[in-house]
Amino acid sequence: MIYVITALDAEARPLCEHYRLKRDTSLPYTLYRNEEMVLVVSGIGRMNALMAVSALLGWRIPKEEDILINIGICGAPLEYRIGEALLIHQILDGDRRYYPDILYTHLFRETSIRCVDAPQSVLSDYPVDMESSPIFQAASRFFKLHQIAFLKIVSDHCTPESVTKEGVMEILRSHVDTVDTLISRLRAIQKEPSLFSADERDIIEVFKTHFTKSQGSALEDALIYFRLRNKGKFLPLNPLIPNSKRERSLLLEELIATLTA
Amino acid sequence: MKNLSQPSPPKLFSHLYIERDVLDHLQTQMIRRKFADSQVILIDHYKEVFNRPSQSFAAQSHSKKLILAKKEGKFLHEGSQYSDGFGHEQFFYASSVMGCLYDCDYCYLQGLYPSANTVLFVNLEDAFEQLRPYLGRDTLVATSYDTDTLAIESLTHQTSMWLDFANLYKNLYLEIRTKSANIKSLKSITPNPRVTLAWTLSPHEIINAYEHNTPSLKKRLSAVAEAITLGWKVRLCIDPVINTEKFAILYPELIEQIFRTIDPEAIEHLTLGSFRMSQSHLRSLKKLRRSDVAFYPYVVRDEMATYPEAIEEHILETLWVKATQYLPKERIRTWQRQS
Repeated sequence: MIYVITALDAEARPLCEHYRLKRDTSLPYTLYRNEEMVLVVSGIGRMNALMAVSALLGWRIPKEEDILINIGICGAPLEYRIGEALLIHQILDGDRRYYPDILYTHLFRETSIRCVDAPQSVLSDYPVDMESSPIFQAASRFFKLHQIAFLKIVSDHCTPESVTKEGVMEILRSHVDTVDTLISRLRAIQKEPSLFSADERDIIEVFKTHFTKSQGSALEDALIYFRLRNKGKFLPLNPLIPNSKRERSLLLEELIATLTA
Repeated sequence: MKNLSQPSPPKLFSHLYIERDVLDHLQTQMIRRKFADSQVILIDHYKEVFNRPSQSFAAQSHSKKLILAKKEGKFLHEGSQYSDGFGHEQFFYASSVMGCLYDCDYCYLQGLYPSANTVLFVNLEDAFEQLRPYLGRDTLVATSYDTDTLAIESLTHQTSMWLDFANLYKNLYLEIRTKSANIKSLKSITPNPRVTLAWTLSPHEIINAYEHNTPSLKKRLSAVAEAITLGWKVRLCIDPVINTEKFAILYPELIEQIFRTIDPEAIEHLTLGSFRMSQSHLRSLKKLRRSDVAFYPYVVRDEMATYPEAIEEHILETLWVKATQYLPKERIRTWQRQS
């Protein structure tokens, strides 16, 4: 699943059109989704972002292969072009700093961003937004740092009064391909496949119920050892479990010896 | 969703995280020139990047970043029970780099650090200051304990700096342990008899399976031979031995292969040791689920995980017998648990 967070509905609309997202009423937030993407409109500012991301990720807890992207506009110093897409490698929030891991190649301009409490009318040293820090803080509880990305598109040179709903939609619409590229890059980071299939996992869990917790943990280690050394080989789990505790312990000892031979 | 083509892997050190305090350090400037295309991100302290929660060691291993920092506090630590101090009065290891370019499945660094990135402490001059008071007595310093310093010598020049420093103090002995085949930096330096270059060697199959990004056995052996020719003192280490079903073939063959290339008379010692690790590091290694090495049913005693005694003895006995065909016993050292 791809989790997308925008602050404004105007930022969400072009993405909803591009990815054909449908309105969903499962949460008390503006939520859109299709089979592989869910987008929440958090509202502007720190508290709104923190609450919306927490609600979204608590509602649907991310799986190992999922990613999260915060997409939105930002104000920026003059050296950044209006409409330029920026990939954030450092979030500055007062004395705190946060670092998404960028483990993929890309053609975006990378930069730091300053997360502030109100729209800025004075040029800062870095681009500014109002949601990146709380989104990072909430998301990094659920995701590894390379699965989170912040894509900011320059909307103004700290002249927030010049930003219009139509302007935001136009800027975002011109960057839907950019979002596609970022998604493909994030997804391409090598993911370790699960060692056991869902069926194997079920069998293992049932098998482990016949043993103590520490025996189960020793068995789990031996099974992982076996699978890592014998990719694709059938797990030699004997379904016949003796009744006596002593015999079960002997069976486990033999099994571990076989698996790790 | 559009299915776009797969990107190429990012280049090594695509990002340089630099502490503000070392921005003007000579070594920082040199590294910035070398990695002129890399993103530079200013930080206050290396820990804010290196120690972040929710990092993926496995994912980062494919795209390592470099953190340049100033070491505060101790550069030198007392040698641990897991390694050999070779009878010197004092034995320290220096920690000037955290993380390693090489990616060995059995390495304790994976259990030790939360990140696969590399931290380079650029203020090595402070390590020398810290060491000076000890140098009235016979002292061994292992310079590449938490990393492979020779592997990144072209970047750091730290080995050269250590060698220059060692030339000034007659009580200072250095051990530079490596898997690197790059000994270019040693060619312009007069060999110091108090410096030992220690190469870790493993069978070709073990290198392929467990020692990712490291030079081949052939390249390592060529480097060993060249270092000997240049006049350096060399120690060879078959340590850690990884127990596989082909152990009895692979490792004796390795010893044969070594001494087909290297004159036994030319090496100081051969060190033999089977895999061992502290239990806490092993637990962290298991969490990564990267390699079978972490999941063997080791025996844990006094917080140390080792192969069961019978296997450990078999490993060391087999290799000892083989090694004695080439070397006198006093030049073979083995690591064994102190009972």
